[in-house]
Amino acid sequence: MELVLTKHFGNERYRHLDTYTELGGYEALRKAFSMSKEAIVEEVKKANLRGRGGAGFPAGVKWGFLPKDLSRPRVLVINADEGEPGTFKDRLIMSRGPHLLIEGIVITCYALETHVCYIYIRGEFAREERILQEAVDEAYAKGFLGKDILGAGFDLDVTIHRGAGAYICGEETSTINSIEGKRGWPRVKPPFPASVGAFGRPTIVNNVETIADVPWIVTHGGDRFHALGGAEKNGGTRLVGVSGPVNRPGIYELPAAVSLREVIYTHAGGLKDGKTLKAVIPGGSSTPVLKANEIDVTFDIESMQKAGTMTGTSGVIVIPEGTCMVRALSVLMNFYAHESCGQCTPCREGCGWLAKILHRIENGQGRKGDVALILDVCDHMMGRTICALADAAVMPAQSFIWKFREEFDQHIRDQKCPYGNRF
Amino acid sequence: MSLAFSEETRAKHDRLLTRYPNREAAILPTLYLAQREFGHLSDEVILYVADLLGFTPARIYGVATFYTMYNKKPVGKYHLQVCRNLSCSLMGAEHLIEHVAMKIGVKPGETTADGRFTLSTVECLGSCGTAPVMQVNDDYYENLTEESIDAILDGLR
Amino acid sequence: MPNFTLNGISVDVPDGTTILQAAKTVGIEIPHYCYHPKLSIAGNCRMCLVEVEKFPKLQIACNTHVTEGMVVKSNTEKVKEAVTGVLELMLIHHPIDCPICDQAGECGLQIYYMKYGLHKSRYALEDKVHKKKVQDIGGQIVLDAERCILCSRCIRFLQEVTHTSELEFFQRSNHSEISIFPGEPLNNNYTGNLADICPVGALTSKDFRFKCRVWFLRGAKSICPGCANGCNVEAHFKGDILYRFQPRQNDEVNQTWMCDPGRLEYKRANDARLLTPVVREDGSPRAASWEAVFSAVAFRLWETMEKDGPESVAVIASPQFSNEELYLTRKLAEEVLRTPNLGFSPRTPGNGISDDFLIKADKNPNTRGAQLLGISEEKFEDIVRKVAGGKVKALLVFGNSIADFSEEETERLLADVPFVVQVGTNEGVVSRAAHAVLPSASFVERGGTFTNHAGRVQRFWMGFPPRGKSRNAIEIITGLANRLGAGWKFAGESSVFRAITGSEAPFAGMSYESLGESGHVAGGKG
Repeated sequence: MELVLTKHFGNERYRHLDTYTELGGYEALRKAFSMSKEAIVEEVKKANLRGRGGAGFPAGVKWGFLPKDLSRPRVLVINADEGEPGTFKDRLIMSRGPHLLIEGIVITCYALETHVCYIYIRGEFAREERILQEAVDEAYAKGFLGKDILGAGFDLDVTIHRGAGAYICGEETSTINSIEGKRGWPRVKPPFPASVGAFGRPTIVNNVETIADVPWIVTHGGDRFHALGGAEKNGGTRLVGVSGPVNRPGIYELPAAVSLREVIYTHAGGLKDGKTLKAVIPGGSSTPVLKANEIDVTFDIESMQKAGTMTGTSGVIVIPEGTCMVRALSVLMNFYAHESCGQCTPCREGCGWLAKILHRIENGQGRKGDVALILDVCDHMMGRTICALADAAVMPAQSFIWKFREEFDQHIRDQKCPYGNRF
Repeated sequence: MSLAFSEETRAKHDRLLTRYPNREAAILPTLYLAQREFGHLSDEVILYVADLLGFTPARIYGVATFYTMYNKKPVGKYHLQVCRNLSCSLMGAEHLIEHVAMKIGVKPGETTADGRFTLSTVECLGSCGTAPVMQVNDDYYENLTEESIDAILDGLR
Repeated sequence: MPNFTLNGISVDVPDGTTILQAAKTVGIEIPHYCYHPKLSIAGNCRMCLVEVEKFPKLQIACNTHVTEGMVVKSNTEKVKEAVTGVLELMLIHHPIDCPICDQAGECGLQIYYMKYGLHKSRYALEDKVHKKKVQDIGGQIVLDAERCILCSRCIRFLQEVTHTSELEFFQRSNHSEISIFPGEPLNNNYTGNLADICPVGALTSKDFRFKCRVWFLRGAKSICPGCANGCNVEAHFKGDILYRFQPRQNDEVNQTWMCDPGRLEYKRANDARLLTPVVREDGSPRAASWEAVFSAVAFRLWETMEKDGPESVAVIASPQFSNEELYLTRKLAEEVLRTPNLGFSPRTPGNGISDDFLIKADKNPNTRGAQLLGISEEKFEDIVRKVAGGKVKALLVFGNSIADFSEEETERLLADVPFVVQVGTNEGVVSRAAHAVLPSASFVERGGTFTNHAGRVQRFWMGFPPRGKSRNAIEIITGLANRLGAGWKFAGESSVFRAITGSEAPFAGMSYESLGESGHVAGGKG
């Protein structure tokens, strides 16, 4: 199978410019400079490169939202705020292959006539930030960033901007606000970032992996990238992360349409210590949970949607038998309540309320009607907010209850947790 | 005001200002510099940063209190931040948190009397494949077990 | 001009109008908190959700621009249920403060709860997040963080209107709180507006705190008498006591704002009022009837004119009085007293602070009116010299003070004038020195017009009849004039205003109807 990203990740020195170029790095950039900007965007469109940050929006289409007139300078923002529970792929790219990202940035900025790029990296990734900054410094020193890159007459400045601990800053307008020095609040849309973004300028926000895919697409063409995926509308490989009690947790670069069962049992080696599967969260905590008998589904975006869940960030969380689903949901609801930015009413109050109800149920103080109450609160949050964090909290809440209803009822009926309030 | 950046930090700050089109965008990085320099973001530090960048203290404080990594209160020499999200919990994070709490004698949210450790529980650190995970100041410690945590803590002097 | 349908009604609106703004134009209420016509869009309360055809999710009306052919519904079950849902979420942490909260009766949560809520709480009292109550945050404002619905109107006001940003959001999620930084209180001259724009009782007026339940108050549209800006206000009163001023919208003058000093001007109508005519005989003041005082004053004036000639009579007009009253003052001086000594001064005691927003250095509401009506400032200086030189035997003073003279200076100036008459509203150095005091009606006790610094003639209306035995100054001047044989037949402000528009060029073509509620700029110089 062809590896777009991780081919050389086992090589300790791949993160250094000299090794990267020895192994073929920055050839795609040279090729890109010989292409027209429209041609590059066209390849990305043909590639069916879907955003890898969770929303899956086609990158080529998003780029097309930029206004035609060039009088207002543009900004590219790389979303490296990886905070979706179960997701740890961008960390790998930035620490093992930072130049992949940089090369992707230069090509993208060239194609989009953009001369300023901010990489928004979550504050906790201090080590990755250091490695990335080293790579950026190397790139500047060798003329791959800065003025007149490779003598092609293209200028580009890249600045790494460190976040400071807020999951919500992964939402693209919140990322922009955070770069602008504000509280990480998402913005009311319209206007959309492509017309009014960072510092009022037309801005494109893309995930690390999405941009890291661009050099390969330029080198091998969009059609080949598309074909790698094995799915009609979902091109290329994905970095699938597997966590939980499996034999081989970690990141696996796999075709977009790989089967979820294969991910868990073949690549991750199945559950360890003789455990059996109870449930799977397929694409990061905000995606609806699947029962053990629902994993015969391919991981591409359309198939997952049809199966009533989402590809999300391909962050697979494996939940074994013996896990209290109420407790698991309570952990997630605490997360969303903690991370809600507080700007709009349904999310701010709803997430907190859900967390409180779940806490009560898990601790044997659930009341009759609590489950119906949770679902009702969910209805008043879903689709009513400025950004999708409320939806992200609602989807696990609803799916856990729909698929494991009896566990919730039992907690309330018996006024205790049958798993002893333990994982 | 008695508080001020050292010359070295001042130079760093001047360079950082050139990366943004306005001073507002420098607020987050400046708060990091201030935290490194002064230990934590006390009210006095907030006033200093506000004056340095030209914004009201309320504005700066609003940013500082939004993000979890800005410490408004002093933390111990080693800030032990253990992830309690789902993947880490499935891999035993709860036990580890209890273990650490017992070992150093504080509850999450507290600091040891000698100021050496502050224990906190945090949300997903983005390293789920090597759960359970803990961040100590800027460093990640992964694949934690009771034994490995003991060794780590003993090594943090 | 896109045309769209709202609840089946066809509506034409200018380009760039939002659904919320459009709804207002056809009298349809879409509930909202965070939207304010003079502030940027926040879109955070989520109360204004509406159904828009072709959109799968409900949209917020405040940030959705109307497009041609758009079909919007705000009265469906889905919308009603959504609004109730948002309201319930907003109320879960709200403290049950209504019995002690000043906002009761004009509270956004109460109003919408009665319309869209009426639900029973499903949230346990012990689960409520508690925040700090009763904080003095400076200016005219008390903050109760627990009542706050985090709509951010206050923050946007301090960012976009006063540019002082003292209030901000702190913390995150449902611990979010709006407050000042410790030690950095509100520090601008417009803090009172925060209580107006706060939809709930989170930001309330210190001055109004616990004074009166709002359902006992009635209102009269008026003009703030604090300075020459002429901010449009509504005066609230119970009986004949004023309780507060709130700004009225006038986009040409004050948008929807007013300043803090102006807000407290209402107190002048309550405190230390002159409420009964007074005549001083042998040094001691005595209450008298209007009959008696008119007779006494008219006689003394006539006597002085006979003995020492009209040049020994002087009239100091006041730019605190209305156009109508000033017109009659001039008429009295010119036609009845036949004296050349008529003047006014716009100077006032106290600081003359001003800014580049609403506050004008001239602390009189009608200086421009006096100028346009031909009353002279040079003549005032002349009169002061004559008074000091003992040449004035009878002095008619309008107002409660003279220019910016201190109390001592005023006392000295008036001490040797044989006959001083005051037409004024409040006790003070002039009333103490006057031989006859004719108490006049304060700003909510009669109607009339003021002319602001930009020449805008604006109406104010009567809220309640003159307090005590005070009278409308028009009546007083007419009474005096007619005692001196003038034969005037003015029957109230409107007849005087008609006379003004008939003879005074800057006011030509105006009428009370044409002035409406937002006024009109006068033509010509004065």
